[in-house]
Amino acid sequence: MRRPRLRRLALAAAVPLLGIAACSSGSSTPSSTSSAGSSSKALTLAVVPKAIGFDYWTHVEAGAKCAASKLGNVTIDWNGVSAETDVTGQVSLLNGYIDRGVNGLIYAATDIKALLPVTARAQTARMPVYNIDSGTTPQQVPLFATDNLKGAHDVASLMNTYLHGQGKVAIIEFQPGTMTDNQRKQGFVQGLTAYPGMHLVADQPDGSDASKALTVTNNILTANPALNGIFGSNEPSVIGASQAVRQRHLSGKIVMVGWDAAPDEVAALKSGEISALIVQNPFRMGFDSVIAMTEHIRNGMSVSNEDTGVYVVTKQNMNQPAYSAILSPSCTNPPLPSSDPWLKYVHMS
Amino acid sequence: MNDPPTPTKTSVTNAVTEDVRILLTSRPWLLMWRRRLGEVVSQATALTALVVIGVVLTILSPHFLTYVNLSEVVVDAAVTAIVAVGETLVIVTAGIDLSVGAVAALAGVVGAQLMVDLKLPWPVATLGGVLLGALAGFVNGGLVSWIKLPPFIATLGMMGVARGVTFLATGAVAVYGVPTGFTVLGQGYAGSIPVPAICLIVVIVIFGVIFMWTKLGRHARAIGSNQEAARLTGIRVGSYLVLVYVLSGVLAGFAGMIAASRVESGQPNFGVGLELDAIAAAVIGGASLFGGQGTVAGAIVGAFLIEEIRNGSVLLNINSYAQDVIIGVVVWLAVAWDIWRRRHITERARAPATADIPRTSSAATPPVHEEPGPRT
Repeated sequence: MRRPRLRRLALAAAVPLLGIAACSSGSSTPSSTSSAGSSSKALTLAVVPKAIGFDYWTHVEAGAKCAASKLGNVTIDWNGVSAETDVTGQVSLLNGYIDRGVNGLIYAATDIKALLPVTARAQTARMPVYNIDSGTTPQQVPLFATDNLKGAHDVASLMNTYLHGQGKVAIIEFQPGTMTDNQRKQGFVQGLTAYPGMHLVADQPDGSDASKALTVTNNILTANPALNGIFGSNEPSVIGASQAVRQRHLSGKIVMVGWDAAPDEVAALKSGEISALIVQNPFRMGFDSVIAMTEHIRNGMSVSNEDTGVYVVTKQNMNQPAYSAILSPSCTNPPLPSSDPWLKYVHMS
Repeated sequence: MNDPPTPTKTSVTNAVTEDVRILLTSRPWLLMWRRRLGEVVSQATALTALVVIGVVLTILSPHFLTYVNLSEVVVDAAVTAIVAVGETLVIVTAGIDLSVGAVAALAGVVGAQLMVDLKLPWPVATLGGVLLGALAGFVNGGLVSWIKLPPFIATLGMMGVARGVTFLATGAVAVYGVPTGFTVLGQGYAGSIPVPAICLIVVIVIFGVIFMWTKLGRHARAIGSNQEAARLTGIRVGSYLVLVYVLSGVLAGFAGMIAASRVESGQPNFGVGLELDAIAAAVIGGASLFGGQGTVAGAIVGAFLIEEIRNGSVLLNINSYAQDVIIGVVVWLAVAWDIWRRRHITERARAPATADIPRTSSAATPPVHEEPGPRT
């Protein structure tokens, strides 16, 4: 604890406990001297997703690179392992970045425990670390991620609205035991308790396998012919569940609310088979974390956890600019709400 | 083909000596009959379990014994059962194929890519997926036969390779946009019979014939019973083993295409744990992991039993973790039953004549006793 920098980071990690609400409502941290990018010190930031290749992570990359281009003199080193389960691969990749001495490290943790030593090592080397999408336990550095609990609460409230307060619903989980799965289920179940007419009658996981999701949804529909609504809690769950509903000619009779926005999910939204999709904002995770880290390094800005928010996309709103931006994000059409606290540090024009 | 070993070969290895001594001193037809009986008893047990669980589910859930639900069970079981048939063939040779789930996923996504990216007609792309399965099986077989890797290791490696290539080929993103015609394979009906059920019947017929009436079926049993003895009787063990793994790969690829058709997309996460279901189905149906025993009918009954348990668990809203516990216990029971059966039915035939001979192999039927008749 000789280094004051470590203390400050520890403080920055403590702030989020109070800070999520404040941050997501748009009130930013003080001392905002917006910097003219090109005259500032050149920075290289490593941004490491859980895995490369996924559609989802390419949006993180787009957001990070967009922020870098707007900030000026910031280079993004984008790299990742090929499977989200390759924890040791990610550990050695990140250690490599620490050894090379990049200016900052932004990564999505593939494991809530195994990455803690990496974060600690970077901090010892006085290198700032932020997490995006998935953090560690305990969360010692700022985390830019979706509040899954809140998003799943939204699903419960949507179900209630679509079913006019009366209905039997089911949830298709994906990987019980992972933090995101637990939070989505927990949020949905908690959310439903607010509506006495809504009943959760079935809960089955699919192991992120659309075929299994199809099978369990079929079986759930057999066991509960009066089922009114299904919440598919990730992409394969939604794909399998909506196939089951379609193959049983129940499209439109059953309210489907899904998570994420894969091409077939969006197509099913368009055709009316899915009523609403909860869409996360990976672009903003990359964008905000890069600006925050740059401001932290250049101007000593203190940074805390941020809920990057979810969008509820429906057939009605999917063509509005804000929602088409979240479905196909790009630097020219970025899905950033005006309340985003980091927008004021760059000129988006 | 089935040339009996000449007495001069008896000195080659102890195992062979033992086999020949059994051959000379016991009544081979009785041994064969006992073994057949053992298989039949195993299948009858599994079939009884299938029926009993069905009756229990009918009592507990009004939705179980309905056309919609049963056809759903058949379609779900079809994918597992098709894979389990290939798995059984491998297990009969005293091998194991751990790669079937990953190979099915690989075939599914690459088949889907052939339709979506290369715009090939769906039957051609489907064939492409199946051939990819065959290729994976060929590599498995080659590693087992020619490089002499243990089947467990050869196919464990393939499991990693196939799953890895699946993720590399797709970037782990599902392949969407398959042509509408392709959905016939997994979702279509011929009259009131689901197409996957027809696919399953075709597989049952073809592989039933292979198991019962072809040299491949007989030799697979001979190899599984005693590989060295099989080699000495002139069976080209290497080639037959390769063929067995190729067929397992073909069926895995075919099952992968059906699964892809069911969800109208190539899903890189498909089939995780499918190999375990397939092995469990084969074992529940009376296949012995020691080799030499296993039938198509058994694999089918085993696959349906597993699917019935899964279906019933969801109908009764049983916690999903409990489903795996139930299936695990069923596998234990099936293998324990298999061991008891060997001791009391299959091997009893040889006991009086061979009591004084130390056994080196637990299933040492000389392949020369493989009669050409049907043996379901």
